[in-house]
Amino acid sequence: MKSLLRRAFFYLVTAWAAISLNFLIPRIMPGDPAEHLINQFHGRLSPSAVTAMRALFGQSDKSLWQQYLDYWHNVFTGDFGLSYAYYPATVSEVLRTSMWWTLVLITLCTVIAFVLGTGLGVLAGWKRGTWLDSLVPVTTFVSSIPYFWFAIIVVLLFAMTLKWFPISGGYSWDATIGLNWPFISSALYYAVLPAFTIIAASVGGWLIGMRNMMVTTLSEDYVRLAEAKGLPPRRVVFTYAARNAMLPSLSGFAMSLGFVVGGSIVTEVVFNYPGIGTVLFKAAQAADYPLMSAIFLFITVMVLIANLLADVAYTFLDPRTREA
Amino acid sequence: MVAAINMEAQASEAGPRASRRAWLRALGRPLTATGVIITIFFAVVAIIGPWLAPYDPSAVSDAATAAPSAAHWLGTTQNGQDIFSQMLYGARVSMFVGVGAAVVSTFLSVLVGLLAGYLGGAADELLSLVANVFLVLPALPLTIILAAYLPNSGSLGIIFVISITGWAWGARVLRAQTLSLRRRDFVEAARATGDRTSLIILRDILPNQIAIIAASFLGTVTGAILTQAGLAFLGLTDVTQWSWGTILYWAQVSSALLTGAWWWFVPAGLAIALLGTGLSLVNFGIDEFINPRLRQAGIGTRKAARGITKRRRATRRRPPRVSRPAAVPFTPDSTDVILEVQNLKVDYLGEYGSSTPAVNDVTFTLRRGEVLGIAGESGSGKSTLAYAITRLHKPPATISAGQILYTRPDGAKVDVLGLNEQELRDFRWEELSIVFQSAMNALNPVLRIGEQIADAIKAHRPQMTEVDRAKRVIELLQLVGIQPDRVRAYPHELSGGMRQRAMIAIGLALDPEIIVMDEPTTALDVVIQRQIVEKIMELKDKLGFSVIFITHDLSLLIELSDTIVVMYGGRIVERAAAQDFYRDPRHPYSRGLLASFPTLSGPRRELTGIPGSPPNLRNPPPGCAFHPRCPLAFAACSEVVPPLYQLETATGRTTDAACLIYDTSVSEGTSR
Repeated sequence: MKSLLRRAFFYLVTAWAAISLNFLIPRIMPGDPAEHLINQFHGRLSPSAVTAMRALFGQSDKSLWQQYLDYWHNVFTGDFGLSYAYYPATVSEVLRTSMWWTLVLITLCTVIAFVLGTGLGVLAGWKRGTWLDSLVPVTTFVSSIPYFWFAIIVVLLFAMTLKWFPISGGYSWDATIGLNWPFISSALYYAVLPAFTIIAASVGGWLIGMRNMMVTTLSEDYVRLAEAKGLPPRRVVFTYAARNAMLPSLSGFAMSLGFVVGGSIVTEVVFNYPGIGTVLFKAAQAADYPLMSAIFLFITVMVLIANLLADVAYTFLDPRTREA
Repeated sequence: MVAAINMEAQASEAGPRASRRAWLRALGRPLTATGVIITIFFAVVAIIGPWLAPYDPSAVSDAATAAPSAAHWLGTTQNGQDIFSQMLYGARVSMFVGVGAAVVSTFLSVLVGLLAGYLGGAADELLSLVANVFLVLPALPLTIILAAYLPNSGSLGIIFVISITGWAWGARVLRAQTLSLRRRDFVEAARATGDRTSLIILRDILPNQIAIIAASFLGTVTGAILTQAGLAFLGLTDVTQWSWGTILYWAQVSSALLTGAWWWFVPAGLAIALLGTGLSLVNFGIDEFINPRLRQAGIGTRKAARGITKRRRATRRRPPRVSRPAAVPFTPDSTDVILEVQNLKVDYLGEYGSSTPAVNDVTFTLRRGEVLGIAGESGSGKSTLAYAITRLHKPPATISAGQILYTRPDGAKVDVLGLNEQELRDFRWEELSIVFQSAMNALNPVLRIGEQIADAIKAHRPQMTEVDRAKRVIELLQLVGIQPDRVRAYPHELSGGMRQRAMIAIGLALDPEIIVMDEPTTALDVVIQRQIVEKIMELKDKLGFSVIFITHDLSLLIELSDTIVVMYGGRIVERAAAQDFYRDPRHPYSRGLLASFPTLSGPRRELTGIPGSPPNLRNPPPGCAFHPRCPLAFAACSEVVPPLYQLETATGRTTDAACLIYDTSVSEGTSR
């Protein structure tokens, strides 16, 4: 329990660092991006929007400390200002409409890829020296492919050539968003290709990591003792080998998750999926800093929550961390 | 397996020449070699690519969106730019960013990792915290923001941005490695002699981490190239500077996908994936170099597996369990044989069809109720023998010859090497159990002690009710002197002595006929050692099982064994009743061994020891393996492998010793 609290505290520190970084970056970067941006709008911005934009880059009469406090106030009230890419919508509004698409898609894909990759890794580690060894170079190749490029190829094959799935978008144009069957079924249908891309591109990392851990764990004495006891192979593989081999895999979740989320975001762009990735792309195109910052914060918080959940699972699986 | 790992460990500790050989061996692996070739190919393209390019990559022409042809090998863009030329120019930028970012972030990793690990204390806490924060922050969104704030950032800006987010992982790995290195003797010694910190880090710590640093470097190159491609694809880099990512950006912006211009986006992605694969393959080679267990994984596995299937016989029904006869005290004249090992040979299969015999032509019998002690130095093959008896040896070890016969209490003989998988599982633990050397390593850290006893019972007595099983577990724990309330304890919650007792409880779970004990007390302190040994002997008298006790502690062995077998270089060199052995060891090696151990009881004697070191099993000396160290060796010893000679003893029994001094036809005239 104590170790979990310590982890939770660490994530709070990380969240604080991310938010402060977000505050600092516009203020320490060279050049005058505010002026540049304001000019781009050719006077279409309201005076209050111009002031907000200047404030964002630290061009304000207030002291830096006061700016920092205001900034925290804004973070907690969800007030990230106006979006310049989706002008005149606010950043919060843009986030609210796009976040669910990404949350559902990435959560599902990460869980599926983790379970699938770990399971295959257990198998490949257990049956090492058989044809399953050839999975290693194949998955290495697949996981070296940039997610977004893999997405392009998937679209080319399954949407353009075979026409099995739609080319882009998140749902059919004639469905209305809500809890109704036409919408859900069309959302699922549209999600198949993006999901397939993300799962296929990320499964290899889990697989290789788990396989190597299995190989290492299988030469542990406790696995040999389990075999000596005449236990059924299933119990030896899962309760003795895989149960222990999984632990480093789970604690490596942090690094991998950031990678997967990053990759998935760019994937969305290819599919023009109505999630955060596509929004981030448009924000980057329009140099919409408030929106980009808010998206960064949102993703960071989500990744931190996912990490905390992984830590809870770890504590559940490893009794050694429970007592300390 | 254990012995093989030791051999590998010795190989990598043997000095620079041996480790260079290990590098070369890693390079010789086809996958690693492929990776190296791919990597070198792209490096060369990055350097000379722009000079090879047939066109200016930005020059527009009339051939818009043309498919690959002789004039344009990879076709053209919407504006008629030559994609092949763009690829060649792009290689340089992509590789430059990849390598540049890897250099900067590896430098940061090494700096932070070594400092944190070496300095420890508050500096370590702080640096580790910073590294962990950067590790958890999702890198890509952060890089996107940073890149967006650096308008039209060129390669250097992108390198800066990627390095800021990319150093943390390497720093963490290096810190852990430095921490463990810092405690090693040679570093401690340097600190004690007052060398400067920077000197110690540069001279003693850094060189030991080269492999890890290289792996981290290559990993970062891949990561940086992927990140650069992602940033460029999102239009966050200078889109007029050609890189593989920029090509994909223009393809996306110009809807190349919708117009079916596959040649526009396929080559760039393929190049990134291919380079990434090449670098990963090199990294696998480094991984296997660092972690010998991975290296072992493939070798000999198939061959060893085939060996087992060849031996498989027709399936037989599971025999009905017979009631165990009551325990009878063992007498030296007993002929009630329970286990016969005949001419057993265990080989470690090497990489190029080579094989190293770890156990060679070993024959002995174990009688009901007997305690058979097996003695030998490390590397003598005694543990390999113990594992081979239960067929627990792992590839690359394989049983290449011999027979193991077990006699059930009802008199039926079982050919252990002929059992199929299911029969083997039934045989194990029911008839023969093992107590491992290190209980800490042999107990599953994530399972409760009670459950690790119960699962053996459950596997063999599926009809037993849960209540009865729980009762039996408690009974077993009490038998070995563990409080019943510890049944729900995890291994890490027990003391070393308790863990070893728990191991013995597991070994007794099914009331086996034979218990093999592989150095069961080596890791314990002397007092606990004595308690455990007394407990084992007490239980043996009570329950009547036979024991094969393996140790290098000869004085202990003489005290508790009925019969002693001495192994050297994988062979039995002497087999004698314990009393006879103590009074009159017959093999020169046994004499040397006895002279190098003080006994717990009995008269004091001068300790001498044996000069020289155990034989290298890969390249054993010809003839008797002991002859280079033997004070009595003569010419024939380096030519003939001595068989076991049966010798009369003072007590009227016989002792077997494998030494040519007992061969009348060879030794007379030539010896002494």
